Amino acid sequence: MTGPAPSLPLRLADGRRLERRYRDVLLPDGILCDHAGQARLLPRYFYEIESWDQARDTYLSPHFAVAEFIHTDVREAPPLRVFPRYIPCATALLALALELLRDAAGTYVHIGANGGYCSPRHARVGGASPHCWGTAANIYRIGDTYLDTHEAIARYASIVREVLPTAWTRPLAPEHDRTDDHLHIDLGYVVSVPREAAGETYGAKLAGDPL
Amino acid sequence: MLSRSPAQPQVSPVFVPAQLQERLDELQLRSRASALAVSVVDLETEVAFHYHADRWFHAASTIKVAILLGVFGAIFRGELLPQSRVHVRNRFLSAYDGSPYRVRMDRDANAEVHRSIGRTLRVSELAHAMITTSSNLATNLLLDLVGLDVVQRTIDGFGLEGIDLRRGVEDELAFEHGINNRVTARGLARLLWLIGEERAFSPALSGQILDTLHEQHFKSGIPAGLPRDARVAHKTGDISTVAHDAGLVYLPNRRPYALVILTEWAPSAGDRSATIAAASYLAYAALVGDPEA
Repeated sequence: MTGPAPSLPLRLADGRRLERRYRDVLLPDGILCDHAGQARLLPRYFYEIESWDQARDTYLSPHFAVAEFIHTDVREAPPLRVFPRYIPCATALLALALELLRDAAGTYVHIGANGGYCSPRHARVGGASPHCWGTAANIYRIGDTYLDTHEAIARYASIVREVLPTAWTRPLAPEHDRTDDHLHIDLGYVVSVPREAAGETYGAKLAGDPL
Repeated sequence: MLSRSPAQPQVSPVFVPAQLQERLDELQLRSRASALAVSVVDLETEVAFHYHADRWFHAASTIKVAILLGVFGAIFRGELLPQSRVHVRNRFLSAYDGSPYRVRMDRDANAEVHRSIGRTLRVSELAHAMITTSSNLATNLLLDLVGLDVVQRTIDGFGLEGIDLRRGVEDELAFEHGINNRVTARGLARLLWLIGEERAFSPALSGQILDTLHEQHFKSGIPAGLPRDARVAHKTGDISTVAHDAGLVYLPNRRPYALVILTEWAPSAGDRSATIAAASYLAYAALVGDPEA
């Protein structure tokens, strides 16, 4: 150990070592295909949240508590509707990105229900949604402004592009795979592996890697 | 004409269908409703009376009773719990072409559900809002959750003819293309009879459905034609051309009767609530006897 341990009071969980009922819905290291047919590797490491109190009291960034990222509804897979809950480690990066948006907007940023982490088995997930990586957020309200008009969504999407130039916002349109009642922000298929994670031992899976 | 005094102990008189039919004919003429249909099914005496009861009407919000049945079917099968949380989102797909549409807040009697957009409400809260204040947003959220086909299969599974669920509410595009939810008085009466007999899935779940219907806020229809001590578990339905009320009427010392009153009107014509209240009174007087007559 060369420095202090991270201060986040959440247990780091290796998804591949969780009970089967969790593995079956988190699909750690599994693959989902995006709309273009590209395979995307799901995260393996998760933070474990023991209770709603812990979710509410634990902050991933100065203004974003864990609770905001696990607010799902009955469409989430049954094992993940009760505690312990799990979020991919990259959710902490999303919280930092949202912090920048909050600073730029100068007011509260509200993540909608089903708008933070959703497991690959969430009924609304079809394919490789970045929500399954914990790197996407659906914003329904900023301050007192509901993002349910093209004007409001476009205004804040513009701010996102300014302060988060690598983030993606879903195009505005009423059609499928577009948005007209919230602002979708995502950082792409980012996988975060904290230093304390066990990692991989060199093996067959990596043998073909020329590096 | 309308009795507001407490009901006397219930002694069933001889029910005279021809007399009730004649009085309803007179009521329709007097009210200038373009159509009137009534079904009465009495769980006490097993008397059933049907007046134009197989005529199809635009269901308006009476379809919400059928959707409530579908929701409780999902609860019965263990797919949902009353406390299950549902994402409140105002975005639905038209039954006509799948294009998105929204429920207008200014046309919804319940603003509370709209204020929860982006958050979650429980299934029981949405069901309560759908029935008691006729929230269109709550209705579409529940229909979206359970599935239109599943609700219709639940209706069909009970052998309930006369209830045709084809879309969510406020789907203007579907309305313009003639895709509408339809009911007959006989179909709705059978549904209410099923609930009143506690045969909707189980006595406990039937009781929960009844509890929800008993909390109805709009009382200018069937209840307005009854004595003060009557309790009514019911659902109203109003759009520009129809006004309905359908419910179970509970009077002291007797089992309930199912009463469905469907009316159709030229836009902006007639005193709709008074006509439904008058039909309610006629059914009451025919079944129970008019203590003031």
